[in-house]
Amino acid sequence: MFKELADFAVKYALKLGANYSEVRLESTTSNSFILKNGIAEASGFGKINGLGMRIIKNKTLGFASTNHMDKEKIKKLIQNTINTTEKASHLREEINLSEEKANKDRYRVKQKINLNDVGPEEKIRLLFDAEKELIDTKIKIPSRYLSLSDSITTEYLVNSDGTNILATVPRVCFFYLLTVEKNDKTSQRIWQYGQTGGFEFVKKWDIPSIVVNEVKALQKNLRFGVKPPKQAVDIVAAPQIVGIMVHESGGHPYEADRIIGREGAQAGESFITKEMMGTRIGSKVVNVVDDPTLENSYGFYKYDNEGVKAGRKYLIKKGIINEFLHNRETAYCMGIKSNGSSRSVNYDRESIVRMSNTFMLPGKYSEEELIEDVKLGIYMKNFMEWNIDDKRINQKYVGAESYLIKNGEIKEPVIKPVIEITTPQLYKSIDAVAKNMEYHAGNCGKGEPMQPIPVWFGGPSIRLRKIRLGN
Amino acid sequence: MEPEEISSHVLNKLLKAGADDVIVSVSKQESSQIKYSNNLINTTKTWEKIDLGIFMALKKKIVLTNIKEFSLSAADDIVNKLLKFVKSASPNSEYAGIAKGPFSYKEVENGYDKKIVSLGDKSIDYVEKAINKALESGAKRTAGVFENSVTNVSLLTSNNIKATDKGTHSYFSIRAFNSKDASGQKVGFSRILNLLDVEKLAEEAALISKQSLNPEHGKFGKFDVVFEPLPFANIIDNLGMAMSAFSVEAGLSCLKNMIGKQVANKKITIIDDGTLKNGFGSSKFDAEGVPTQKNIMVGKGILKTYLHNTSTAKRFNTKTTANAGLLSPGPTNLIVKKGSFSKQELFEQVKNGLYITNIWYTRFQNYNTGDFSTIPRDGIFMIKNGRIGQPIKGIRISENILNLLKNAAAIGNKPERVIGWEVETPVVTPAVLVKDVNITRPVD
Repeated sequence: MFKELADFAVKYALKLGANYSEVRLESTTSNSFILKNGIAEASGFGKINGLGMRIIKNKTLGFASTNHMDKEKIKKLIQNTINTTEKASHLREEINLSEEKANKDRYRVKQKINLNDVGPEEKIRLLFDAEKELIDTKIKIPSRYLSLSDSITTEYLVNSDGTNILATVPRVCFFYLLTVEKNDKTSQRIWQYGQTGGFEFVKKWDIPSIVVNEVKALQKNLRFGVKPPKQAVDIVAAPQIVGIMVHESGGHPYEADRIIGREGAQAGESFITKEMMGTRIGSKVVNVVDDPTLENSYGFYKYDNEGVKAGRKYLIKKGIINEFLHNRETAYCMGIKSNGSSRSVNYDRESIVRMSNTFMLPGKYSEEELIEDVKLGIYMKNFMEWNIDDKRINQKYVGAESYLIKNGEIKEPVIKPVIEITTPQLYKSIDAVAKNMEYHAGNCGKGEPMQPIPVWFGGPSIRLRKIRLGN
Repeated sequence: MEPEEISSHVLNKLLKAGADDVIVSVSKQESSQIKYSNNLINTTKTWEKIDLGIFMALKKKIVLTNIKEFSLSAADDIVNKLLKFVKSASPNSEYAGIAKGPFSYKEVENGYDKKIVSLGDKSIDYVEKAINKALESGAKRTAGVFENSVTNVSLLTSNNIKATDKGTHSYFSIRAFNSKDASGQKVGFSRILNLLDVEKLAEEAALISKQSLNPEHGKFGKFDVVFEPLPFANIIDNLGMAMSAFSVEAGLSCLKNMIGKQVANKKITIIDDGTLKNGFGSSKFDAEGVPTQKNIMVGKGILKTYLHNTSTAKRFNTKTTANAGLLSPGPTNLIVKKGSFSKQELFEQVKNGLYITNIWYTRFQNYNTGDFSTIPRDGIFMIKNGRIGQPIKGIRISENILNLLKNAAAIGNKPERVIGWEVETPVVTPAVLVKDVNITRPVD
């Protein structure tokens, strides 16, 4: 790494009059493999070596990045950034950072099976194994898209407050898109698995079983699926559904930068205002947290991209709006300390307020107990289509693998049940939370240019009472 | 060392080691962005980057790499890693080669502007003018970005292609707010700075925002909808992805087996034009070095072709459309051919319908069938007897993309240039009237 260059850049910016400077150095190596309809479409690898910096001068924020690791070029870049902040100062948002402890640390996510010790051959063979098992099911699967990727990122973060952190985080990810056909009708599923750690997790996932279970469920739904009921019914939503729900409407609206309007033209704002802190949004059984410290989670970090120590944030506590996600800038705006939610996806992106691993906390019931108490309802295991408006109120989840519940028992599959609901109605309808926790991986989109950032979302199964399904 | 020298060094080494096909591209970019919200600048951003991209086929084994590091020693490391990597890669039996050169190239008309190259911190003045214009026009708050870039690309292939291109790009977005529930968004782009009127965009965004104050909850049902260019571009962008031969093979397309068939109303013609004058996605050549061209994708509602590179074209028994993407061919600039109606005339054709000025979060239930939903955002208005009326909120379009395009009933005569947060492909489209659009909303 070019650590000396980063240290130099922090000092040089101060020398040119900056009040605060921060440099994030990134070194990433990555591999990816694609198997499309049984054919090894391509293999690839990548390498990143770059530096991104934030400079505050006279309360004006400038960001600059380069992958030209040359001292003279970096000096010029810093000078240009300072000049631009000066020019912008008459029209700038006043940037202040909350006072935080300057952390110094070195950490590394351990790998039991090092990604560099596993050759491309073995990695792609896993996809071929999955392909073979898919074909062996004899189910008609006209499109099979499987991809496996891994990366190892080392980040060096240093700022003028004295923060100095070196972190190495390996990541693995498996993504699939499967199309199942039956009687001229098709059904699709896209899903993803992701963790921080070594190749041991890829082995643990058991990729062939994942995809085989998926196509069997899709085919069953196509063959035997019935239309969803029209009257109001109870819904038992499984962890995949709960995960996406809390990510979209229990996580995003709690991002303080959205609340103050900073993402207005991009991902939007939030229906939540600062004044709503402490007010009820859901029933008493609803607890939603964001926690980057879960070991081996896809959204893992020990310190955020401003060097603030990460910890669990209780966004909704017993149904009450309890905490927002903050970086140092938004924390200052609201007169509090940062809770370590500042992330950037690569060295060339400004760090902004992001989720990490957002999930609903478990309750006391088993999933079976939730189902037992439903006379007529829907068990929604997973989904394909979903969306939510940019204030995070009006949301929709369309079930993929779903079943009818009759008199407390799971019965025949249901075709595409639609939950189209507002956020307050959703969280107030939850009457019971199970304890079967699951976490799922995704890449959350925010920022401009876009920063798809690795996250987990999850929770246990929950029960929603008296929901009328959408069309 | 100059990019061309490193490219040639890499190419020769890989060929010597037995590679059948090699493409080396070097892209250098300097760009800047002013990000603003609440009428103030949040951040000024500057990027400098240089990318080295290598594509290699050896006995039908395909390996790609992209390296954000540029030096002779880095290039040598990569060559060694490529050769090691390819040994354990699996062959792609469907791979059918890369384009054979040489070709002659035409410069993109209005593709490079020295004013953008030397813009520097003068970009702040543009943002200031736009914010002021929006506020003068009645907006209370504004947010957006102004982005400018200068790119130089050089391409070298083992099939006798050696080419360079340079371009400038300018993109502006503004969202104006009058309350939490009242907003309007406009975007614009240009390769030539003087052709981008940021104040006009600001004024238009403010107008939508102001008009959308005090919205009521919308109703569900079938409505005739006049789509502004911005939301219609979002739909066309999604269709553009479905046009790629790669998407067709991967199950990501509702256009599979549809060549020669009706996929839209006969009033709809969609062109992909990589040569478009002042086109944001225009360039001299595609990722294989094939000179870009103009392709009729949908002619009077009939699907004419998919987007191809050399390899996918051979698999589909046709010729490349000059849309490489080495793995996945992709659109360049998608143009919806303009019709004859003014926006007012589009409104006049609607008795009881909606005027939608933006959509977002377009997601598919099934890419294969084209079933999707998307959420109108910013100003949404009722249209009653040809006149724009009450603003509304809280609705969703739940539709099938082919069904929606088949119901396109009238095309506007004033195209706008759209790219943005949700519209990745540059699209040039007028407003479009679509009949019987299915509108849903959260169930009470």
